[in-house]
Amino acid sequence: MNEIVIKSPTTLKELVQILAVADNNTYMLSGGTDFIIKMRREKINNGTIINLKDLKELNYITNTEDYVKIGGITTLTEISCSSIVDKYATALKEATGKVGSTQIRNAATLAGNIANSAPCADTVTALMALSAKVKIINGSGEIYEKKVDDIVLGSEKNSLKRDEVIIEVNIPIDLEARSSFGKIGSRTAVTISKLNMAVTFKYNHEMVINEAMVVIGAIGPKAFNSSTVANSLLNKKINTQFIYLFEETLQKQVDEAILGRASHPYKREAIRGLADDIMKRMFPQIMTGGELS
Amino acid sequence: MEMEFNVNGIKHILEVDPMERLLDVLRNKLKLTGAKEGCGEGECGACTIILDGVAINSCIVLAAQAAGREILTIESLEKDGELDRLQKAFINNGAVQCGYCTPGMLMSCKALLMKNPAPTEEEIKTAIEGNLCRCTGYTKIIKAVKEAVKDI
Repeated sequence: MNEIVIKSPTTLKELVQILAVADNNTYMLSGGTDFIIKMRREKINNGTIINLKDLKELNYITNTEDYVKIGGITTLTEISCSSIVDKYATALKEATGKVGSTQIRNAATLAGNIANSAPCADTVTALMALSAKVKIINGSGEIYEKKVDDIVLGSEKNSLKRDEVIIEVNIPIDLEARSSFGKIGSRTAVTISKLNMAVTFKYNHEMVINEAMVVIGAIGPKAFNSSTVANSLLNKKINTQFIYLFEETLQKQVDEAILGRASHPYKREAIRGLADDIMKRMFPQIMTGGELS
Repeated sequence: MEMEFNVNGIKHILEVDPMERLLDVLRNKLKLTGAKEGCGEGECGACTIILDGVAINSCIVLAAQAAGREILTIESLEKDGELDRLQKAFINNGAVQCGYCTPGMLMSCKALLMKNPAPTEEEIKTAIEGNLCRCTGYTKIIKAVKEAVKDI
């Protein structure tokens, strides 16, 4: 007989006990904004659903000197409203604020968005640009870290084993770095990214780039870190010419990634506008043609 | 499974199928039919209710996830036969036409005002960004919320 059983652990100890007997019919339920649609579409009617939302100890945003730490069941609304995230991980604040609608952000969790591994997942792009790692717990009670990039395999596939759950996201704090996120969808709100991008820049007092990270999402099965674009920006001074160079290199990267696809002509133009939006938000002085300082 | 639900301040012990969504329990078991099923995918907002103080789509929450938490539906707004000021403002401003989106729209606005009694127009727009309306064009809804705020 087909049967669904829901288990709602309230402590990590209880979670580990449940994970210890997890099998191929075990499903993790966090915010549910993707899973419940999938459950109904695929008519999942057999197995165990582990409801993670009662693990109140995983609902937090805090920071040490070196890391911002976000508990696995923290909602996207809580993250987008966090002063800690705003201060140390701006790209993530911007990304979480642009996911879905108010209702979706009130339910969806950061760990859930990573594990769902949609190619257009906004938080994944931002987290990769912030060099974030996730902390995982398994059915043996072991806790270890993995890069977000290593979790997401693409097209709703992740590398998590059946007995693994993301319990925390760790973002390194770098006070010399600035980050930002942007997306383009078919409308301004409640939209799925047709293209998204997150950047982290480190630059000196003369506004010359020392380090860059450029992550592009919704352009393939998973977001990717474009070292080609990042390297082209090194040792360049941030000014209007810089934006032009940035857009040109991004366009070449899009050509390389999706040449021949139906979306290519649109995305090679859209990436320029996206870069422009991000740069003008990070360096608004450029809009008026003024000098940066 | 037997679960306890706290809906509009009343506790209910209900036998619930693990696959049932919160919307199913509200409409089919408790006969609270204000929340509507629209898209069934969290896109249209017709099923919006307030769970622990925030607006959520009840079509994409399993009933088991809402057990033991505080649930408010559109039926909670009227008190002793008197409509909530938001409901009155919707009527006064013609913010209701076919009415299908209205319960969800009202609950999104109620959740906003519970947290932020004096929202800006931008904040009102953000609060209802997940509620689709194909009749009013939204302008009258925003006007109604502004009027309700003015009355506070």
